[in-house]
Amino acid sequence: MIQAASRTETAPSALITVNRVLMAAALVILIFYFIVYAVYAANLIQFPFDYDQGEGFELVDTILFSQGKWPYLDTNVYPFYSSNYPPLFHIIAAPFVWIFGPAYWYGRLLGFLGTLVTAWAIGYAVYRDGQHRWIAILSGLAFLASNTVYHIGPLFRQHMTMVMFEMLAVLVLAHANEIADKQKRRRAFIAGIVFIIAAGYTKQLAYATAIAALAFLFIRNPRRGIISALILVLVGGAIFMGINVATNGQWWLQTVAANVNDFFPDQTTGLFRLWFGLHGFLLIPAVLYVIYEFYFDRLSIYSLWFIAATANSILSGKWGAGDSYFATAIAAMCVLSGLFAARTLTGRWHFAPNYLTRFLIHPFRRFAPVIVSAGFLLIPLLYIGYGRAVLHMPTTGAFQPIAQILGIQANAQNGFYDSAGRIAGGYADIGHLTTQADIDGGNTIVDLVKSTDKPVLSEEAAFNLLADKDVITNPTQLLNLANNESYDGSALISMIENQEFGLIVLRAQFYPPAILRAIGDAYTHDEEVPMNGFSYIILRPK
Amino acid sequence: MLNKSLTKRQLGLLLLIGGVIGFLGIIAIDVLDVGREGGIGPAQRIALGLMVGLALLGLTLIPMKDTPA
Repeated sequence: MIQAASRTETAPSALITVNRVLMAAALVILIFYFIVYAVYAANLIQFPFDYDQGEGFELVDTILFSQGKWPYLDTNVYPFYSSNYPPLFHIIAAPFVWIFGPAYWYGRLLGFLGTLVTAWAIGYAVYRDGQHRWIAILSGLAFLASNTVYHIGPLFRQHMTMVMFEMLAVLVLAHANEIADKQKRRRAFIAGIVFIIAAGYTKQLAYATAIAALAFLFIRNPRRGIISALILVLVGGAIFMGINVATNGQWWLQTVAANVNDFFPDQTTGLFRLWFGLHGFLLIPAVLYVIYEFYFDRLSIYSLWFIAATANSILSGKWGAGDSYFATAIAAMCVLSGLFAARTLTGRWHFAPNYLTRFLIHPFRRFAPVIVSAGFLLIPLLYIGYGRAVLHMPTTGAFQPIAQILGIQANAQNGFYDSAGRIAGGYADIGHLTTQADIDGGNTIVDLVKSTDKPVLSEEAAFNLLADKDVITNPTQLLNLANNESYDGSALISMIENQEFGLIVLRAQFYPPAILRAIGDAYTHDEEVPMNGFSYIILRPK
Repeated sequence: MLNKSLTKRQLGLLLLIGGVIGFLGIIAIDVLDVGREGGIGPAQRIALGLMVGLALLGLTLIPMKDTPA
């Protein structure tokens, strides 16, 4: 703090004024994105149907947990349903089912609130280590302004809750080793391990954060690192084994074995390019900060987390994966870029003498005053540039005048502009606001489902739930199993061939090919109902 | 010793050894499982690249001597 004050005091007043104006501009831009995000979240929370493919099955998992049942079931037995996600997010949401019944709003609200907690934690981490309040606020807002975080944040999905637990884990563990009081230090370690386990049992992808955190603890104090790893393995392993026994092995089959999907390198390449295109203004300082820590300072947990999360993002090329796999790396990026910015503005860079300082630092020492002055302009400009790169907003309603001023037109569904431009496979085609016409379309399908006395095979769960009918199958999970040669399907195919379903509702046709062939043989296209930018195909028995 | 932070040199050695073993392990997948088709696949190539990067990072840290990592 003292150094921050001295840096400000030594800089020319004109430079400080320009810095403050630019910082205010960056803040206004990122607050605008927060408003867009809040409007989007409020809109989705009121939407009673699936918005993103698969949300309804997260709700089904939640309903099953609220009834004390596991969702890891045998997909060869009616209703052929199973889940491929760990349980924690659904367990957290289960009490809402007891009070409000099946609904989408509370899962979306939990997802949204989780992102706010993550943004706060990012801001707190940056403030604690960087001692610069403005940068801390910008860092937290930058996370919420990311296109990826924006469009998956308020969904009934567990991904952003996992990121929240991951962020809380690294926040707690970052300085745990330096806590002098033994009891407090022990509590910090336990809290960190609990958060890591919570993240892992929210979504499997958190294993990368566990590796990063344990590596950090090992580097700082090998004994504590080994003990923490043992506790993590024992507790995490005991929970894993317990669930596997309780579900007769379905837990292993559905959440691990069935998750080994085809890998498409082009999708990974495209998503990495997109990630850099959208976040490059903050990625570059984040990477520079990691390099700085490796060679001139001590390694922080944030750097190791960033490396592990970025490496883990390679899995975004798997079938069924997408840009959401970058969310953890984006959180780490926001922390590191914030620390880079705070160090620059408070003049707290220091370079330990070594063979690299001779070549990389000493020749530039005479330019230090110029570099420092440039930093006052560069740092807010990075956040402004980031704000420009991630531009996403509705182009209709109250946002229309702003869209006109910015000269942008909708390039996505339902009057939405997204600078991501949908150029990469695996980038979620969502982000737009839903309309009354979408709700009307959903209600039309619910009425169709209600109109038959027979069960209905629907690719999305909402229609069956609202019509008070059994939810039958989870198509993507059937496809996961089929792709891993772990799916029989004869019982479901037999029901389709016997036309035991009064109606079939398709959207993306994510069922295994054998199921789709059976549907094509026994059912015929009746009508299409538009909802949320998609055409829902209604099929009836031939 | 286990209660002390690793040095940059120790970390560098660990990364170098990890990178080399990881590289050899990925190559060994094809050597041991001779029935595999298609040679070194795209995921393997990415993993090999990461292992090379890890080893190089380790090499550059070794001259940092006893600076705490």
